[in-house]
Order: sequence, then structure tokens, then C-alpha cells
Amino acid sequence: MIFPYLAFMFFCGIIPIGYGILEVRNPSWVNMEGGFETFIKVLQDFRVGPAIINILFLLGIFVPLMIVTVLVVSLLLDATEFRYNKQMRLLFLIPGLIPVAVAVLFWSAVVGYEVVWDKSNIRWLIGAISFSTGIGSWIVIQYGSLRSISQEVLEAGVVDGCNRFQLAWRLKLPMIGRYIAYMVILLIANTLQIFNEPNLLMYTNMTTDWSPSQIAFGYAFKNADFAGGVALSLVMLIPNLILALLFVLNTDFMKKSKTTWR
Amino acid sequence: MEIGAQRRNTRLIKGTLFLFTLVASIPFLWILRDVARMMFAPIVYYDNGVFFTWLKNTSIFVFASMGISVASCITAGFVLAVLDVPFRRFLLFSTLATMLIPITAMAMPLYVMVDRLGLNNTLLGLILASSYFPFGAFLSYLYYSSVLPPDLVGMGRIDGLGDFGIYRHLGIPLSKSLISVVTFFAFVGLWNSYQLPRVLLAEPSKSIMSIGIEVFYGQGTTLIALMMVIPSVLLYLASQRTIARGIFSGAVKE
Repeated sequence: MIFPYLAFMFFCGIIPIGYGILEVRNPSWVNMEGGFETFIKVLQDFRVGPAIINILFLLGIFVPLMIVTVLVVSLLLDATEFRYNKQMRLLFLIPGLIPVAVAVLFWSAVVGYEVVWDKSNIRWLIGAISFSTGIGSWIVIQYGSLRSISQEVLEAGVVDGCNRFQLAWRLKLPMIGRYIAYMVILLIANTLQIFNEPNLLMYTNMTTDWSPSQIAFGYAFKNADFAGGVALSLVMLIPNLILALLFVLNTDFMKKSKTTWR
Repeated sequence: MEIGAQRRNTRLIKGTLFLFTLVASIPFLWILRDVARMMFAPIVYYDNGVFFTWLKNTSIFVFASMGISVASCITAGFVLAVLDVPFRRFLLFSTLATMLIPITAMAMPLYVMVDRLGLNNTLLGLILASSYFPFGAFLSYLYYSSVLPPDLVGMGRIDGLGDFGIYRHLGIPLSKSLISVVTFFAFVGLWNSYQLPRVLLAEPSKSIMSIGIEVFYGQGTTLIALMMVIPSVLLYLASQRTIARGIFSGAVKE
């Protein structure tokens, strides 16, 4: 039953990674002699340091903000029977539905051309765009997970004297813990791989090398240096994998079907 | 008067009114048609109507990939959460790891593989390369590991159900809301996909909407942005009832 999925995982996931790792050994623009030193040499590129600082800025400010916003909005939407609940979720979702190819005009119209052309606010602007495009889908998922907590459990909480805040903090959030962990991993991963948002502002702010993914893309598809591009992408994968491993080892993320709490 | 006859008369009155209104609004509809033609003309008539080729290609690509990815990832999520499979943790970790890899690292190896299969510049190549949807598989795994308690699976086994029987009689009936969510996210991802189609479909005549629309920069782009968002919004509106009911509603109420 799992065979079709495994076939796709193998051919579209594992083989391409293996091929990429082998390709890194080949002589390239970054490392003329070839070999796995390419992994080190891409990090010595003068553009990588500032790009990593940009990513750390987003990780430090916008990712926590996104996590908190998604959880607060989902909890608020779940806490009351609100007439415009449906419409509000849709409005949160729409910025994330706009295709990359046309998003640049959309965002220029939203924030105004003078802001787009102002280089001093570029980190904040990219953070705001990634915030706006990223929270909607997670609100849909977390709201859905909150809606499925059984009424009996919540009523038991009320009988025990919980107010709404305590219900959210002590019952609801722990119950959807695995979905929150999944969201945190993917939000951090998406930030480490951020590409579209700075790419949108490429023509106005020269943000061609703003993020490591853009530099990797530049290596692979502008300089025809695939080894360099893959090496940088794989180096950027390391923090993701460490984070994923930490979650896997320290939570019940991968436990099999458990006795339901519902 | 009989109730049946009354209803018939009401229907007749409504039908006649509808017909008259339609006839009366023909001039207005005519204007609307012309306005729409004028608005969409730069898009629809561009390069001998290549827009319709993109639309056809996008529909084939999105629906084929979506069908394959949703069916395979929901089944995989069920198997990983409920059944005993060897290397389960490894498979789950691989799913998570492949999800975290940037498309920049994957695009070129996928291009080489698709090219070696002789499927470069074809929709089939793009469909196969885009049908792996680890996000949906992991979401399905989380879903089934929450909603299908081992006791229920055990009862199914006592009733003589095999692995496929448990999936068919317990897994699928419980997964309506999961299917809605996974289908929605698969659709949005495929409809808006950019980097992989850009690498795998080089010829403009074989392109898809998300790539083709770039030519409309500066000539009605806002309109095309709207056109691109509408299908995702409609799908969301259609599926949000099941989502709101609770994506992860359990099979057992205690």
C-alpha cells in the first residue's frame, strides 16, 4: 500500500539528494580542484555571511511572531462562535495564495512603491511579506486541529474551574502539541530557505543575494555551477536536520497511533 | 387549491419571471460581455490564444499530480501511523528531511532524471516530478496517529479485516476532512509552482499558467493575479466546511 509513495520518495527525494551530493565532488567555479571541500568553500563566499545575518534576523523576530500570531488567532477563532469566522480565515489565507510570478506587483501596490524602493527597511519588508504569506495556511491547520478537541474534555476543564485562558493554555495547546511542533519545524525550514520574498524585491532593491537560497540559485542557474549551488543548499539543510532530530527525539512526534485523548 | 397545484403554479410564475428578466437583461449582459472581452483581450488574444494552451496544460498537470500525490500520501500516512512497517522511523525521518530540502538542490537532479527518461519538456515529466508531496504525507501521518486508536484497529482485526480492509473500512471513512485539507494544500502548491516547471518546461507553448503569465507584466497583471487566486479561493470555500468541522476529529468519543 505504501509502495507508490515510497517510489515517489525514492525517485523525487532520495535519489536527487544522493545525485546532488555526488555532483558536489566535481570541479566547479567555487572549487576548481573538485572534492568535498566545496562545502567549506561556499561558506567562504563573501555574500554568505550577510545572507546568514538576514536569515537570523527573520528567525529571531518574525518566526516567533508568526508562531505566536498563528496560535493566538487560531485560539481566538476557536474560542467563540463568531459570525465572520469563515471570512476572517479566508482573509488571512489570501496573501499566501498569490503566485510568485505576479506577487511583486501585488506587494508593490500594497506597501507603496516608495517603501519598496527604500533600501533601509528591506529586512522588515521581507519579514512582513513572509509573515503575511505564511500565517494563513497554518491558521487553517491549527484552527482545524483545535475544532476537533472534544467538547467533553473542554467541559471537564470548565468544571475544574478553568477560565478561557487556562483552557487554551492548559488543555488546548498541549493537545495540539504535535501539530505545533510540525509548524515550528516547517516555519524555521521555510525561513532558512527563503527565496521568493527577497526575489520579489530583486529589481527595486538589488536583493539578488539577500538569502543563502538565492546565492545557491545563482550558483546553479546563473553561473551554471551546480556543485556550488547544491553544496550551499545542503549546508543550509544541516540546521534544519538538527532541529528536526531534536524534535523527533524529544517529543512523541513519531510514536505510532496512540490511545486518543479525545 | 391542492398543495401540489399551488407549488406547480408558483414554479410556473417563477419560471416566467426568470425568462422575462433574462430577456430584459440581454442588453446589459451584452455590455458586460464586451467589457470582459476588453479587459481580458490582452491576455486571451496574446500570441494566438496561447493562454488557452497554458490553461489546458495547467489543468492536466495540476489535476494529475494532485490525484497521484493525494492518493499516495494519504495512504502512506495511514500505513506509517497504523500498520507495522519496517524502518518506520527512517521513513518518517526521510519524509521530514526531503521536505526540508530547498528546490534549488532538487531541481537539477530531477531535470537530469526526467531528461534520461526522455520526458524533458513534457507534461508527464513535470507531473511525475511534482507528485511527491511529503507535507501531505506527514500531515496524514499526524492525523491517523491521533484519530485511529489501536483498540479500534484491533477490533477491525478481530472482525477479520486485513491491512487493506482496515484502510478501506476505517481509514478512508475517517479521512474526509483530511482529504479536503491535503487536496487544498496540494492544489495551491501545484497551481502556484514555479521553480520546477521553469526548469522542466522550457518551450513557451508547453508552459503552464504560473510561468506563462510572466509575459503580462505591465499589461493587465493585476487582472491575471486575480484570475490566478480565484481557483484556490473557490477550492478553499468548497472544502472549508469539512475543515471547520475539525481536521483531526477522532474516531472514538470517550
